[in-house]
Amino acid sequence: MTWAGLVDAVKSAGAHGRALRVRGGGSKDFYGQALEGDVLDTRAVRGIVAHEPTELVLTARGGTPLAEVEDVLARAGQMLPFEPPHFGPGATIGGAVAAGLAGPRRAATNGYTGAIRDFVLGVTLLDGRGEVLRFGGRVMKNVAGYDVSRLIAGSMGTLGVILEVSLKVLPRPPAACTLRLALPDPARAIEQLNAWGGMPLPLTASAYRDGDLALRLEGAESAVKAACRRIGGERVDDAAAAAFWTGMREQTDPFFSLPGALWRVAVPSTAVPLGLPGAQLVEWGGALRWLKGDADAALVRREALRAGGHATLFRGGDKAVGVFTALDPVKARIHARLKAAFDPARVFNRGRMYAEL
Amino acid sequence: MNQPIAAQLLRREFPPALLDQLVALLGAQRVSTAAAVREHHGHDESHFPDALPDAVVFPETTEEVAAVVRACAAHRFPVIPYGTGTSLEGHILAIQGGVTIDLSRMDRVLAVHADDLDAVVQAGVTRKALNAHIKDTGLFFPIDPGADASIGGMSATRASGTAAVRYGTMKENVLALTVVLADGRIIRTGRRTKKSSAGYDLTRLFVGSEGTLGVITEITVRLYPQPEAISAAVCCFPNMVAAASTVIQAIQMGVPVARCDFLDPLCVKAINEHSKTGLQEKPTVFFEFHGSEAGVREQAETVQAIAAEHGAEAFQWATRPEERSKLWQARHDAYFACLQLQPGCRIISTDVCVPISRLAECLAATEEDIRRSGRLVPVLGHIGDGNFHLCIIVDPNNAHDIEIAEQMNHRLVERAIAMEGTCTGEHGIGCGKMAFMDAEHGDSLEVMRMVKRSLDPHNIMNPGKVVAV
Ligand SMILES: Cc1cc2nc3c(=O)[nH]c(=O)nc-3n(C[C@H](O)[C@H](O)[C@H](O)COP(=O)(O)OP(=O)(O)OC[C@H]3O[C@@H](n4cnc5c(N)ncnc54)[C@H](O)[C@@H]3O)c2cc1C
Repeated sequence: MTWAGLVDAVKSAGAHGRALRVRGGGSKDFYGQALEGDVLDTRAVRGIVAHEPTELVLTARGGTPLAEVEDVLARAGQMLPFEPPHFGPGATIGGAVAAGLAGPRRAATNGYTGAIRDFVLGVTLLDGRGEVLRFGGRVMKNVAGYDVSRLIAGSMGTLGVILEVSLKVLPRPPAACTLRLALPDPARAIEQLNAWGGMPLPLTASAYRDGDLALRLEGAESAVKAACRRIGGERVDDAAAAAFWTGMREQTDPFFSLPGALWRVAVPSTAVPLGLPGAQLVEWGGALRWLKGDADAALVRREALRAGGHATLFRGGDKAVGVFTALDPVKARIHARLKAAFDPARVFNRGRMYAEL
Repeated sequence: MNQPIAAQLLRREFPPALLDQLVALLGAQRVSTAAAVREHHGHDESHFPDALPDAVVFPETTEEVAAVVRACAAHRFPVIPYGTGTSLEGHILAIQGGVTIDLSRMDRVLAVHADDLDAVVQAGVTRKALNAHIKDTGLFFPIDPGADASIGGMSATRASGTAAVRYGTMKENVLALTVVLADGRIIRTGRRTKKSSAGYDLTRLFVGSEGTLGVITEITVRLYPQPEAISAAVCCFPNMVAAASTVIQAIQMGVPVARCDFLDPLCVKAINEHSKTGLQEKPTVFFEFHGSEAGVREQAETVQAIAAEHGAEAFQWATRPEERSKLWQARHDAYFACLQLQPGCRIISTDVCVPISRLAECLAATEEDIRRSGRLVPVLGHIGDGNFHLCIIVDPNNAHDIEIAEQMNHRLVERAIAMEGTCTGEHGIGCGKMAFMDAEHGDSLEVMRMVKRSLDPHNIMNPGKVVAV
């Protein structure tokens, strides 16, 4: 389906009160509350529209395969700084932006960092009325009005179809090194991660499980060397390190095959190890805790809240408990009104995020 | 058209009952209708005519702000949030009258979580006050607009500063907010977690909303470890384009330049006179590098080599902290220095931002426009982001002079938009740039209007700014 085809499909769905399910490669179908409506396939709207390497900006159509985007960038010595997970071969850039998920690099402390929304400079959106709207652009800074392009990032396709997106990209760091350290006590490990996080070290990923800590350092050669000396531990060879971080990013690491549901618990990085049954994996310098097992949903949510965070039922489990933490009534009303501003007939992704959206 | 609506038409009488309610809520001490106080809150740093609020209130807590907004909402009477009043586009002018909420008494740093690298502040804390407060933690807050603005005001305008290339702007560095909505309800958006809660990113919606969607009362901001080593240098270039190309090439090569800012010869002359800096009056870039001792040396060497290829002179170093702060203070005072070029004048500050690949072209065309105008127009900016300012000096009592200056700004904005740029990279819309919103956003403006109506159905929050509804 072409761009014009998408517009027609949306207009017709709106006119007939039908729901559409916006889908790229379907790699993230597992994520979210419910899938409703006919599939609106975005993959024909594809291709890189502009990439001027000196500009550090890439503009691509929403249905462009994520792999293609990453390829083009790699050839120019650049990367998507948020290291988005693919979760399957068909992942598209539009889907990645809509899902708003970031990989291990999310919590880097040296500027090679950020959430997806921090790198979205502009979007072209097909709204629920079938109108094509542009927000933001290719400029690094833009304060002309409300920051709608960032509202779209992470909105899970509930506000519109991302036809085109402009992203800020970064040069690949010149040097990288992964270290492995034994830290048997989880509480100590979290303290240590936070202590390093507060130092000017080029940390771009961390993963801790069962007494074993992996750290990735990236940046200028000299900075990486100095940091390795300071931290100590054992250096992992480059191929093994790359495979390990891919396993974290794509959830192909053995941890993710353990039995039970996968919970994603976001907490302040200093939160003590969560007192929950099941296996835990700590990422993002302590700020992200993956939990695998059959812990009771209410208990997980309570423990997350107590730690100052929130929990998402990421994969598996019984979705009846609510995939995302429920909104309070005031915020729920704001959400409904924003949804109505973009998609009054609720064409897109009904119930994917919350039942009432 | 997105135009500020003729204000006198919309100005309503200040309901006496509202004044009584405000006094009952805050006490007579913290509600003022005195002419001097209203005048102080009725003009900003821009050249726009004054527009005074009917009253100014000084709440000390989020709950007090909520009570004030509830009272105003009951009368459908405008509310104008006010930080330090340093915005440049008529943001805080009470063009339809109203109650100005001055947040300066909400000046407490509520918490510093040194390990989590964040701090929670009340909206009235200024950027310098925050940095003074956290000095001993080994952390710092990197966003530094030229003025010592409030963190609330900076969030509301999505401000940036000289270190945006490395550390980003307010939009990347605000983690969570407490906001009083237009009906007086209080919400907390985001949390102190890296991944915000599920749902729409309301934090990002309020950041940059210029007081038109709600009053920000508390902000959680991201902090950064102070670098082990810092060095600053000044470098003279043959022209603006060479300076811009150097900065862009350095960033593209991955050199994490911490700060870099451009000043044209006229601007250098102005700061030399104002701050006694004794710099050469040439196109100049101020650089600052952050990192380890070795890293800083390496970065500086790389940038020097690139600069030399673009015909630059050797770096002059400022390694001692006093020298460094003198240099950057002079840079921050550039606006005031430029004001002194012509006593009694005001400045119309332009703020376009263009894609990096179009910057050289945009600068060249703009330089030519300035030359032809024969006016005194210092140029400065954060060229690493494609953002630069003309300080067009005008006589505030001469309508013709202002008109000519505004035409120059119009031409610049048209040029920038034609290059896929924006009319404002960091100062925001206020009422001064509303007319450019149509050209820049087209149909998308309608969605922004709907967003405004969704959150502020009765249009009481800083009405007549950003989008006309
Ligand atoms: C010399 C000089 C240099 C400058 N340099 C820069 C620069 O480099 N980069 C840059 O980005 N800006 C710059 N500015 C502009 C200005 O400093 C920024 O816009 C700043 O963020 C404004 O903060 P403030 O506290 O003064 O806000 P105010 O001027 O008081 O208010 C600005 C807007 O925000 C709203 N607002 C204020 N507080 C709140 C709140 N708590 N909740 C909701 N809304 C609120 C107001 O209603 C208004 O619309 C400069 C200004 C000057 C005078």
